[in-house]
Amino acid sequence: MAKKSTTNFSQAFDELEQITEWFEKGEADLDEGLKKFERGLELAKVCKEKLSEVENKIKELKKKFEE
Amino acid sequence: MSTPEIEPVLQVSEYLKLANQVLKLNIDGYTFAIEGEIFDYKIKDGKWIMFSLKDENDPAAKVGCFATTFKVSGVFEDGMRVKVWGPPAITKWSNFQIDVQKMEAVGDGTLKRAYELLKKKLEAEGLFDFARKRELPRFPSRIGLITSRDAAAYGDFNRILNNRWSGVEVLFIHVHVQGREAVPEILAAFERFNLLPEKDRPEVLVLTRGGGSLEDLHAFNDEQVARAVFGSRIPVVCGVGHERDESLCDFVADVRASTPSNAAERAVPNRLDVIFEIETMTRQIESRLLDTLSDRQNLVDRVTQLIFSAADLQKEKFERLAKNLFDRVNTWLPRLSERLNTSVRVLASVDPKRVLERGYGIVTKKGRVIKDAAELEIGADIAVQLSHGTFDAEVLRVNGKGKMKLV
Repeated sequence: MAKKSTTNFSQAFDELEQITEWFEKGEADLDEGLKKFERGLELAKVCKEKLSEVENKIKELKKKFEE
Repeated sequence: MSTPEIEPVLQVSEYLKLANQVLKLNIDGYTFAIEGEIFDYKIKDGKWIMFSLKDENDPAAKVGCFATTFKVSGVFEDGMRVKVWGPPAITKWSNFQIDVQKMEAVGDGTLKRAYELLKKKLEAEGLFDFARKRELPRFPSRIGLITSRDAAAYGDFNRILNNRWSGVEVLFIHVHVQGREAVPEILAAFERFNLLPEKDRPEVLVLTRGGGSLEDLHAFNDEQVARAVFGSRIPVVCGVGHERDESLCDFVADVRASTPSNAAERAVPNRLDVIFEIETMTRQIESRLLDTLSDRQNLVDRVTQLIFSAADLQKEKFERLAKNLFDRVNTWLPRLSERLNTSVRVLASVDPKRVLERGYGIVTKKGRVIKDAAELEIGADIAVQLSHGTFDAEVLRVNGKGKMKLV
């Protein structure tokens, strides 16, 4: 569960970074820009929600020889 | 001895075997250590370690020692004070020696020296090379933690981790961070993490403990532990001691943290920084989009303006042409009418009818107008046109010749 949500965080963050880069390159395609803008806002929201929701979990593992 | 008994006879090798058994039964080499100073330290074929230990208080007392590089890690040299553990043994050549299972430097001076020598050796082997240091994942989802649950380091690490970041699964393996069990337990923890199936494996390992004396930190300066850090296929963050402390594991680790808290800081980003970054990116794409929009608006404005001004230009040009035309016509028309009037006047003045009206007549012969009387012969028929009506006549006399006028 923790794995899943944070992987999503990492992916969402990466995608947001790519969108920002796309805009920084100054490609002026308005239609695509609008789409990417909407996607960017969505990703930012997802990332922020993940950050406010999830807790860290501690799970103790036994050493090999203790099993 | 009255009863005849067969006296036992042992072969030399049997005798040595017996003596060794007796020694091992009576001297348990694992429950105590023998302390002394190394001399005649030699490593043969890179495997066999041979040296003697001597007693500081009694320089004449010495004992031979034998070990292998598999069992004894670290670097030693003559003059170092060490503790050794291991059973005694008598060799085939009747040399008495300690079969060393474990060896540790003793005293700050020796520890420091051993540490320096080992550090130099590992460095020369490339264990500290920056080129091999791996980057940590930016947002790890699973962290393997190796420390003691009883140490302050454990609490510090998890507290800072929780303060900074969330959604991480911390897989924790409890180990002793000092004492006899420390080295084997840390080695086992590294093995355990590295042998996990890839889907369960942490993306980063954190090996940490609080500060301590060189002796307390021995596990983190142990050659085997340093090699385990080096050999780990999972990147390692090592945070040992306080700010000033260093350990060999620190140098080998992919990321060197100064304290357990700092290890948490190096392992995960700060939530607030990331939120700020997300907000910055959002603002950035928003303002870029607005830029694009206003660029578009400007373009449309500019084109519209161009079209209008082109139309204006055309209209202006047309009006100018029309005005020119009218101007021309206006100057040209009166002259034209004047000329027309003149022509009309001229034409009117030459109209033969007007001459006839004044009483003249036009004489024609066979339709030809006669302007000279000499063209006529007497008796010719002529026609005369007057202003009103015509009549025919016969020529009687031309220039005084012919029939005389009777009147």
